[in-house]
Amino acid sequence: MNTNFSRLIGILALAAQAQSARAELKWEQTSVDLRPGFNDKQAVAHFNYENVGNTPVHFKSVHASCGCTTAQTQNEQVAPGQKGEITATFNIGGRTGTQVKTVTVQTDDPDPARSTTVLTLKAVITPLLEIQPALVYWQNGEERKPKVITAKANKDAAIKKLDVASSTPDFTAKVDAGSAPNEFRISVQPRDTSKPVYATLTIKPDSPPNTGNTFAVAARVMPPAPTSGTAVTPSSKAAVSTIRHDLATPAPTAGSPRQ
Amino acid sequence: MDLPSRDILWRIVALIIGGIFIYAGVIKAMDPVAFANDIDNYKILPWPLVVRLAFYLPWLELLCGLALILRFFYRGGLFILTGLTFVFIAASVIAKVRGLDITCGCFGHASKNWNFSGHLALDLAILAALSALWISNRTSATRKL
Amino acid sequence: MKVSAVRQALLLIALAFVPAIGEAIYFRNKISWQSPVPASELVTVDQARSWGDNVIWVDARPDNEFERDHIPGAILLNEDRWTDLLPQLLGQWSPEKKVVVYCSAQSCNASREVAKRLRDEAQLRNVFVLDGGWEEWLRNKR
Repeated sequence: MNTNFSRLIGILALAAQAQSARAELKWEQTSVDLRPGFNDKQAVAHFNYENVGNTPVHFKSVHASCGCTTAQTQNEQVAPGQKGEITATFNIGGRTGTQVKTVTVQTDDPDPARSTTVLTLKAVITPLLEIQPALVYWQNGEERKPKVITAKANKDAAIKKLDVASSTPDFTAKVDAGSAPNEFRISVQPRDTSKPVYATLTIKPDSPPNTGNTFAVAARVMPPAPTSGTAVTPSSKAAVSTIRHDLATPAPTAGSPRQ
Repeated sequence: MDLPSRDILWRIVALIIGGIFIYAGVIKAMDPVAFANDIDNYKILPWPLVVRLAFYLPWLELLCGLALILRFFYRGGLFILTGLTFVFIAASVIAKVRGLDITCGCFGHASKNWNFSGHLALDLAILAALSALWISNRTSATRKL
Repeated sequence: MKVSAVRQALLLIALAFVPAIGEAIYFRNKISWQSPVPASELVTVDQARSWGDNVIWVDARPDNEFERDHIPGAILLNEDRWTDLLPQLLGQWSPEKKVVVYCSAQSCNASREVAKRLRDEAQLRNVFVLDGGWEEWLRNKR
């Protein structure tokens, strides 16, 4: 009786042991919000983890959603009780606004619900200057009225004035204060709209000093529009003949879209 | 002089079916561009043909619906509408089999939210009614008055 | 019996042409007779090809992918180097052109983002996204 009982206990203990022999990676957070400054080229997020299981966890793959984000682990293998982090580096490039990038982490955890974790990096990027539109243009022969570009400055940058220069003398640009604080109005005017011209307007803010931050806008006089030849008027005869043709014979593709 | 009540019944059926096709035709004739896009969704025909069909079909439906109600060219109208209904059913089934998620366009954008089975059921009912009208017409034609 | 039904049918078919042609004349300038206008921003490879010389192809993929291979005549414009690359597109665009942006496949988002920025920031009209992306172009190569 006693041996049977103890055998039973032994088996139960073994079963319990087998149950709890699992790996588990616990994440401090799987979503990080960042606000990079207008001068930052990268936004870095740290995702901390800890192995709260009792077997080592091995990273099978760490893979970012786009080429602009790289992710690195400190160690490939995490021992029980060990802590570490995955660092996700998002190269901002020319991106603006709210950017969401993800890093998918695969481990050798036998539980499929836990073997894949998606880490999210959310970055809200406010550029130094928000310029709109990026292109001002006049049609050939259009009246030479000035067109306005609005530049909104990042309020943390304390920009007092903008310097605007055109790459060719065909356009003149004038900067005025805009209707709201931190807003500028750039009026651009062509000298002559009778021939096609392309110029880049370089906008230089006076702050932050010495950063060499410049922005570019395009100004153009368009070439004369090509004469739109075929106005879309089918002869009604064509309509009739097409339909008659198809009702009479089951031949397909009267006018295939593949051209 | 009594008309057999059967005839009245068929008249009513013809009226209803005719009315349905007139309604369908009018709705589509009012917006041929939308109808063209609806046909195009089936991806069965090339666009230039789709556009011309989109202008033509609604008027054919309308005319045949009138034919049913006013009883001119009655058999011709029945014939065409039966053929058209077959084509609509076939097209819906093909689209469904292909997994295309489309709204039928048969009743214009009013039917946008109906599901496939609803449409199929309606089309089959119309087909049944048309067939019944066809049969009753043939038997009454041979009946001597 | 059958004969009269067919004859009547043919007459109805012919009659229906009259209002149909009238309507077609009325709508002749309001509909695109040759190719469907995309309902959304998506265009298929065939639709884009049918626009012929009026298309400006924009490649929204990373630099190295563009260098490896791209649609002939395509302009590179990705978000990594947006400010550097944008002027080239702006120099080529004109109001009658249609811009078609593509990235690697249906699933990638870069083309949609670039298209959206072109519409918002540059206020360009007629900006579309290639349905299926570079993968679809390769599949349709002739």
